[in-house]
Amino acid sequence: MKKMKKIISLMVTLCLVLSLAACGKKTVNSTAGEGNITKAPEAASEQPTEKAEPREAELSIMMSFPQYMDQWETYCKQFEDKMLAEENIKVKVNLEMPSSDQYDSVLQARLTGDDAPDLYTIHSNNIKTYNETGYLTDLSGEALAGKIFDNVKKTVSVDGKLLALPIESTAWGVLYNKDIFEECGLAVPNTLDELKNVCKVLKEKGYTPFLLAYQEQWVPQLMTALTIGGKVSGELPDWLDRMYADNGSYSEISDIFDVIDVIMQNGTERAMEEGSEAGSADFANGKAAMYLQGTWASNTIMTTNPEMNMGVYALPINNNEACTLINLSTSTTLGVYPDSENLDIALKFANYVLDDKDSSALFQACGFNPIATVHDYETSSWVKEAYQYVEAGRSYQDLVLPSAVTDEQGKLLQVYYVGGVTKEEITKTLDDKFKEANKLSKAAE
Amino acid sequence: MTRKGRENLSLLLFVAPAFIVYFLFKLYPTFSGVYYSMTSWNGLSKTKQFIGFTNYIEIYSDTYFWKSMLFTSKYVIVMLLVANIIALSLAVAIESRKKAKGIFRTLFCMPNMISMIIGGYMWNFIFTKVLYYLADNWGMTIFDKSWIGNPRYAFIAIVIVSSWGIIGYLMIIYMAALQGVPVHLIESGSLDGANAWQSFFRITFPMIRHSLTICIFWTLNSMFQVFDVIYSLTGGGPGRETQSVAINIYEEAFSGNIRYGYATAKSMVLFLIVFVITIIQITVMKRKEQEL
Repeated sequence: MKKMKKIISLMVTLCLVLSLAACGKKTVNSTAGEGNITKAPEAASEQPTEKAEPREAELSIMMSFPQYMDQWETYCKQFEDKMLAEENIKVKVNLEMPSSDQYDSVLQARLTGDDAPDLYTIHSNNIKTYNETGYLTDLSGEALAGKIFDNVKKTVSVDGKLLALPIESTAWGVLYNKDIFEECGLAVPNTLDELKNVCKVLKEKGYTPFLLAYQEQWVPQLMTALTIGGKVSGELPDWLDRMYADNGSYSEISDIFDVIDVIMQNGTERAMEEGSEAGSADFANGKAAMYLQGTWASNTIMTTNPEMNMGVYALPINNNEACTLINLSTSTTLGVYPDSENLDIALKFANYVLDDKDSSALFQACGFNPIATVHDYETSSWVKEAYQYVEAGRSYQDLVLPSAVTDEQGKLLQVYYVGGVTKEEITKTLDDKFKEANKLSKAAE
Repeated sequence: MTRKGRENLSLLLFVAPAFIVYFLFKLYPTFSGVYYSMTSWNGLSKTKQFIGFTNYIEIYSDTYFWKSMLFTSKYVIVMLLVANIIALSLAVAIESRKKAKGIFRTLFCMPNMISMIIGGYMWNFIFTKVLYYLADNWGMTIFDKSWIGNPRYAFIAIVIVSSWGIIGYLMIIYMAALQGVPVHLIESGSLDGANAWQSFFRITFPMIRHSLTICIFWTLNSMFQVFDVIYSLTGGGPGRETQSVAINIYEEAFSGNIRYGYATAKSMVLFLIVFVITIIQITVMKRKEQEL
């Protein structure tokens, strides 16, 4: 009986071990399977066929904007069809779109875990870091390089090399409800005093001037993006260089708080309970007359209220009109992984994003601004309005601050809104944070 | 092979599958974490520079880390009391019922089956929309508070949601222990004139003390590592006012300066602190159990 028990126990153990081994085996098999699917070009060309079998390949793409999943899925399908018809390559595109707040950590894990996607989106501010670690292909020699507008190309180039394909490039300032402004007889403000007057008139007419949605820290951070950008570009052009040389201070630009205070004091209540999407919807429904958000929010706003008559103006920082400027920036860009097994196809996809025939429809469907000569579609009225400032020379290229400092600004403005920190404390913390980022950057070099 | 040897081999084979899984998913990451904590790796670079204990020395003066540690400790203490008292009370109340025990048990256990990240987003909606609706339209002004924006109320909100999530689990452990208390002891107690309170504190409570050890151990351990509830409810904000240690580590590793090596060092410090506290807790409580 004892012997029997032992035999059974041994058999069960063996089963367990084998089942575990089987799991391992399955993984190996599936990887091998994928390997088989992705045939090397030489292998395909070796086949002595009269009518060549299509070469098969897989392309893995990771993007950070799940809200445009449908548009990009359609575009990937178009790419698959085009490749089969024109190049006799049967491409299977695996498109992944993790949620934007977890995107960076997922991408980081994939890159370091030898599971890098062939193409992936990154914020233009991170191009330098990703380039230093060897995760970006130089696209300067590709056909797409000749199509991108020069001012946009600058935002995605390092040392003269085009390292990513810009996707989202915007000219942005403050969104405002044109109907409310017209009803109150208001014109867009050019100075801080004019802005204060706009707020006063709106309140008298029963409107809340600003919509505040500070639940996510990147939204209040937009205030620093606009105010520091305007102030520095208009009055202190060497401030950022000095900050990077540990020779500047936020105290030099302390008047940015004047306009921040005006916005916070004339805003909707319960800002910390309002997310960015809810804020866009509330703005569309007329809860406030102005909303400090980029034109990227237009998709939600126009979906909520297609009749919305929206405009964009440059945020005044003080009474110097030279500081009232529109921000020109590139956020999302598409990079190509240099060690991709299918680098040739990955590059073809990157080029296809700026395809002469199909690119305009994609960019228009996503509500992106034109970034290349191939984009010939009619832009929306608010985009045109923002670009009028650019044409008049009233714009600046978005300042690239260390990511840690940008994040800190958003966090501190949240606390400032709830009264947990003073302007002086913010100034000191940001100075320290900038110095810390400089120190870490130098240590990494 | 001798009989003893064969027995050992079969034991080893039995343990092997579990050990392999444990090694791959627990031990290996922990030990590799020790190595990463001594590097200046940014989580992206292909090379890792060994810098010894520099990261650990830096933690000593990291105010954000210690602020998050203070917040987490406060949270753990409150959760230890609130969650365990409510769970034990519910367990006693449900166990004392003759009918519909199953319904109540299922009802209170249900939140435990929902992922806390989803629970957090659900409650976020309740705090930011439903409560304001009640305050604005039904005159319930008690709810008209900045539940997410005001650090004081945000802490209360986090405790409410966390308790909602874990009470069911703790309650089941207490209920299992209560079912193990011999009825004759309670009966003889009542024959000797013990009232309900005396019967609970003098007979039932000492008998279920081992479950208290388990529940406190589990609460301590999991609450020190709290991430999901806070991440989905307040994101650690406003600013860093409700930032737990786990969120601070996450922020260090994946945003801002992206310092993976330094973040790993912080997680090692958290591990050591939790390890020491739980060892003390188990030793003390086991000794108390034996005294009884």
